[in-house]
Amino acid sequence: MSRKNKHRNQDRPWPATQPVVARGTTPGAGANDPNFAEVERLLAQGNSKPALELAKQIHKRAGTSASEALLVKAYGARIRALLKSGLAVEAKALLDLVRQRYPSARGALAEIHVDVAVRKESLDDLIRQLNDPVLEPERRVEIETIIRRELTDLGALAQNPALPAEHPLRAGAARLQKAWEAVTAAPVEDDALALPEISRRSPLAPWKMLVRAIAAFYRPDDAACERWLQLIDPDSAPARLAPAVRAMISRQAAPGLKPAASFLIAQVGGKMDSLRGSLQSLDTAFTAGRRKQLIPAIQNAVRACREACPDLLDRLRQHIGVRGSDADITYEQVRDAMGGAPRKDAYFWRLMARQAEDPRSMACLPACTMWDEFRRHAVHEGWFPADGPEVAALYLHMADILQHIPREDLGDLQRSFLNRFSGRSYDYLDQPPAIRELARKYNEDDAFILFPEQLYARACAIDPDPEVFMRWLEWARQGSGWKLEEEAAEAWKRALPKDSRPLLRLMDLAEKRGALKKALGYLEQAEGLAALNPEVRRGRLRLLVATAMRHVEQRKPHLAERDIEELEALPQAREGDRPAFLAVLRWTLCVLRSDSDGAARNLAQAADLIGSRVAAAMVVAGIADFCKLLDLVTDRYYNRNIVFDSKESLAAAVARGCALGDDLGWPLTIPPAFEKQLLDELGRTPGAMDARQLRLLAEAALRLDRRHLAFAASGAGLAKGGATEARFLLLRGRALPEYEPERRDQCFAAAAELARRQRDMGLVDEAVECRRGHFFMGVLNPHASGSSSSMSTDQLNKVLSLEKQASEFPPLRTPKFESPFDDEPFFDDDEEDDEEFDDDMGPVTPEEFDEIMNQLDDLLGMGKRRGPHHKHRRRRPGPPGTPRPPSGSGQGSLF
Amino acid sequence: MERQSTLGPHDDPREILDVATNATDKEIRAAYLKKVKEHPPERSPAAFERIRDAYEVLRDPRRRALHLLLSTDPWAPLVSLLADRAPERRFVGPAPWLAVLKEK
Repeated sequence: MSRKNKHRNQDRPWPATQPVVARGTTPGAGANDPNFAEVERLLAQGNSKPALELAKQIHKRAGTSASEALLVKAYGARIRALLKSGLAVEAKALLDLVRQRYPSARGALAEIHVDVAVRKESLDDLIRQLNDPVLEPERRVEIETIIRRELTDLGALAQNPALPAEHPLRAGAARLQKAWEAVTAAPVEDDALALPEISRRSPLAPWKMLVRAIAAFYRPDDAACERWLQLIDPDSAPARLAPAVRAMISRQAAPGLKPAASFLIAQVGGKMDSLRGSLQSLDTAFTAGRRKQLIPAIQNAVRACREACPDLLDRLRQHIGVRGSDADITYEQVRDAMGGAPRKDAYFWRLMARQAEDPRSMACLPACTMWDEFRRHAVHEGWFPADGPEVAALYLHMADILQHIPREDLGDLQRSFLNRFSGRSYDYLDQPPAIRELARKYNEDDAFILFPEQLYARACAIDPDPEVFMRWLEWARQGSGWKLEEEAAEAWKRALPKDSRPLLRLMDLAEKRGALKKALGYLEQAEGLAALNPEVRRGRLRLLVATAMRHVEQRKPHLAERDIEELEALPQAREGDRPAFLAVLRWTLCVLRSDSDGAARNLAQAADLIGSRVAAAMVVAGIADFCKLLDLVTDRYYNRNIVFDSKESLAAAVARGCALGDDLGWPLTIPPAFEKQLLDELGRTPGAMDARQLRLLAEAALRLDRRHLAFAASGAGLAKGGATEARFLLLRGRALPEYEPERRDQCFAAAAELARRQRDMGLVDEAVECRRGHFFMGVLNPHASGSSSSMSTDQLNKVLSLEKQASEFPPLRTPKFESPFDDEPFFDDDEEDDEEFDDDMGPVTPEEFDEIMNQLDDLLGMGKRRGPHHKHRRRRPGPPGTPRPPSGSGQGSLF
Repeated sequence: MERQSTLGPHDDPREILDVATNATDKEIRAAYLKKVKEHPPERSPAAFERIRDAYEVLRDPRRRALHLLLSTDPWAPLVSLLADRAPERRFVGPAPWLAVLKEK
């Protein structure tokens, strides 16, 4: 620098970018000096040059050991920066200068000295020492460590004259250099990379691993590549390549890769990787949903696809077009960004329909129109024939989609949609002629795609399989009225005339609406096909019972008698407790004919046959009610000969009565006053009844919405353990109140899981249906809806254990969920009922039992006729074990 | 426990078995047996699993039909379109590799 310039520089102020010692401070005070901190800050930022200048100033003014240490540190940073910039010669010169000027700092600069030494200019000096036969082992290790850590140029070592050509290090480097060039240029087998001359302890060992890793990468054998990468010493120079190789294997962008690594990835991956990156960016843009990002991202992706995979371009446009329809961007914008419209063929319409039917979109009616477009294109493109099973599957799928719309809304939505919808011709304007020729104007005949019953009918016509008909019937069953169901069953009957199932369904439907003659007609047809089918046999019994009861109700005893005789001739009518039911039917004839003796005889017979006075009374009460006989029943028809046994289990009797009623299609009522004693009995002797009785009792209680009773019966059933646990868990779930949504859900889930393990698929379906029905509560209560559909053994055992131990019906509690409707707590009415119920709970007194019997009278309409003192006139049963007096005394009267 | 299918959202079982869209049951079975011979389980278990899964889908006409309808996922990441494309690994010589090593 000239004197003039030097002078000028001294006079002029520091450039703004260059630090200066703050005026008014005394530099060199120590580490607390703000200027020290400034140097540290600059070094931390990587600004080694201004940091060095400032440190020089500080040391010039302070001249302390602290300022010297700071200066040496700044020199160190500067030398490293020079090395990094490839200025090894300048770095070495500066290092020598500093080491000479500040001998005390040699220790601190030792590491940098090593770094400088491995640069080409000093590599000779370093490795030449390895020729020294008396080189200290520590020094040898030190040099080898430097080579392992820093050597990046195998050629420099392989051709270095500082070592003789036959020196193992130089020879090894030469072999590695050849292998390195080979594996990066063409496929190489592992055998060619044995490199036995390079030992595991050699400083070149990491290179051997790297060469093998690259060979495996190109093979491609990613697992082997990863194994070799893991064997590379992480402190060695070859380890620097591992992140880039791993990024190429995983095809994921690795964060923090340096430019050279990114360049390598781009070079090796070629255009395919570029396309991958563009697609990832586009996915991100779609997720973010920002229009400004979307347009360029679409353009980039299409451009990259055109270059890397032109054969994929159509497919990509279709996907982008579909995704774009859900983004904040118009179709035209997407089309322009893609440089053309997506090809609207079968593939495109399938994607569109799938998106529209997705719960996130839930556009059910448009989805059906899109599926229909798909059908036409797919048939045209030869995906499947127009009458193939694929079309049937498609119609069923469309019907399933429409089921997402509540039945009560479907009609309005269909009308509204059809008023607006004029077909999809507009969608074809930008299509090539081959696609456009499939566009067609919408007409009324196409509307079937929006009507489930028509879709099912078409599906069944194409694929007349019982499974397909059952789906149609199941859909029809969920609607109101029987016509849809009958239509489906009739279609099934027509399509598969040898199948008895549609006939049985038609019979059921006719029976339910009271068309017994028609039902019998179907039954006769079913008997012609499958006379031994248990359902057919039961159907004959049930229909004859219904016919007989109809005739009794019509006060036509002669016809009813003929029915009963026909019934008695059936072998199936002699099974189980059915004869008791027939005896009660004969009792009704006696009532109609004013035959009191016959009535008494038949009642006594019924009680004997069913083995329970209470059960017989329930059947009598039920049949008299169903046949509208209550007005005719008087004291004349009492059977006072029936002895009531107080040891009789009321629960068992009720279960038996309910079972008989259910068996013949006439579900009986449990008198409300029975409930207290039933609960008491179930609590006292839960094991007295068998699982079937408990199930029937629980189901009858649920049918009548007596949840306390159903809870107790299911608890007794659970206590029995064994194979029926799943059934009783389901009953327990149904018995639990709505304000226990989580517990109900757990019971249903556990029942489904247990049934699944027992391979009882019918029960699984029931449990799943219960959970589905329970969904409303799940919506309100996130705890319930979030539970999984499968359970581990531990979870299952926990639910089972909890429910087995729970003996009390859950008390009313405030639901955990917040009502979306109002602030009033739910179940106010239940609470009131609950309290009343709790107050009533306790041991059954004789008066209460008397009340139970009066309840039966009430069922028969007798209480009113007998007058207010009847209850007090009734003889109460004696204590357990007391012999009953004869019937003439009135003790143990059935009524 | 039920085995997870190896087929992805964009996998076409017909392509895996190399059968036409309108192939008959007989043709599908013949194609399956041919593919199994080419990729026996002891030699290429992964390929065999895919072939078997593809056949499981195609052998039942209703399942085949349902798969045809539902096997596409419009929400799948676009990058999954490249799933069955072999990654490109071009040989670029030692220089770009060496540059990574030299970049500290």
